[in-house]
Amino acid sequence: MYLDSACMALKPRQVISAMNEYYERFPACGGRSIHRLGEEASDAYSRARGKLARFINAAEPGECIWTRNATESLNIVASSVKIERGSKVVTTSLEHHSGSLPFVERAKKTGLKLEVVRARNDGTFDIEDWKRAIDSSTRIVSVVHSSNVTGTIAPLREIIEIAHDRGALVVSDDAQYAPHHPLDVQNLDVDFSAISVHKMCGPTGMGVLYGKMSLLESMDMFLVGGDTVSDVRFEDGRIIPSYLPPPHKFEAGLQNYAGAIGAGAAAEYLQSIGMREIEQHERDLLRAALEGLKQLSHVHFLGPDDVNLRTGLLTFVIDTVESAHDIATFLNDRYAVMIRSGWHCAAPFHYQIGIPPSKGTARASIYIYNNSNDISIFLTGLQTLIEQTS
Amino acid sequence: MMSTLSRNAQCILKILEAGGSFTTSEILELARRAEYAEVCKDCAGGDTFVIAANQLVERGIITKRIGKGGYHWQIVRG
Repeated sequence: MYLDSACMALKPRQVISAMNEYYERFPACGGRSIHRLGEEASDAYSRARGKLARFINAAEPGECIWTRNATESLNIVASSVKIERGSKVVTTSLEHHSGSLPFVERAKKTGLKLEVVRARNDGTFDIEDWKRAIDSSTRIVSVVHSSNVTGTIAPLREIIEIAHDRGALVVSDDAQYAPHHPLDVQNLDVDFSAISVHKMCGPTGMGVLYGKMSLLESMDMFLVGGDTVSDVRFEDGRIIPSYLPPPHKFEAGLQNYAGAIGAGAAAEYLQSIGMREIEQHERDLLRAALEGLKQLSHVHFLGPDDVNLRTGLLTFVIDTVESAHDIATFLNDRYAVMIRSGWHCAAPFHYQIGIPPSKGTARASIYIYNNSNDISIFLTGLQTLIEQTS
Repeated sequence: MMSTLSRNAQCILKILEAGGSFTTSEILELARRAEYAEVCKDCAGGDTFVIAANQLVERGIITKRIGKGGYHWQIVRG
């Protein structure tokens, strides 16, 4: 029973086939070589970008930049958005390290103020805290849309309205949100969105940075080199580059064509099921899991009861078990149930709620391929563990 | 023997060599102490240490048993 999709989703045959097709039929450079294989690779690569754009309802495919993962997407934003010295960046105590550290480092390097909005211990936010934190000096807000620890969904629309009202941009960490809920970047009016493809049934080493075209055009590049330029002149002993418009100016060097094609296939696969249907399926299973956990003594889960406020994951501790790693080890060894344990790259929030690294939390996460039998075995395993450790 | 083991496995063994059995939490807390800093250098979250400990169990070098508080780890004395 695989309950670790918040870390890595399993891959459907459609994704694997699409990637194999690239390697078997047209394993060439896209956008460079003019021969038949190059043309086929270019077409497939270009179509994949369009599929991702449809998946998040971007205004145009060029607003979707291929990256290695959401972490790289967030680093591009943190390093490339123009921010005047002395301006403020706002983030939260609930962020994955990838959502906070790029901005912590940017603040250190370029003299920015960093303000941290403290999530409540259940992973929800008080919107008044956002109104206090975001002021006219704030240039950018980095917020996790769905927490990978509490599973809580941030009030992103309200945060964006507050930020825009005060002249700030918003980058949303959608690594945990995009695979599980309908995401419409235009409707939300979010400025940037970071997505990890491996969490949405796609290949590893692929991510997407969505950005509004006007913003992408104004940003400097994180990496430069081959494929990013329209021309590089050599005049009077100087090398003078002219860069392409987005997305190409951000995609330096030979690209992961198979990965992009797999990402497009994953987006298409999820849309063929329906994101509303996926969301509902996960909430049904999450409701059953939460109800089951409540029946077990010694178990404490993070986040609110209301599944409508959550993504399909649940994180918990057990009083009778000192370390969450023991929960994961026991379920794996005895019940073949695979969950995650530790601090989930969200150490600040664990420190906030008083859980040290040596204890950590256990996290079970749900996706399209899970069913009620998985939840039942998971709960049975926990019951046995509690009996054997009491 | 030590040279064939990963650094994390060496960390686990060094802690367990102190004698007796240790819980997972105890091992992870000890791994952060200065006296083990030379060999115990991985992420404080502990995932990698537990993976190394389980590999040592598979190799028959240490044992684990479930009991009060969770798993207890111990070196196999030959």
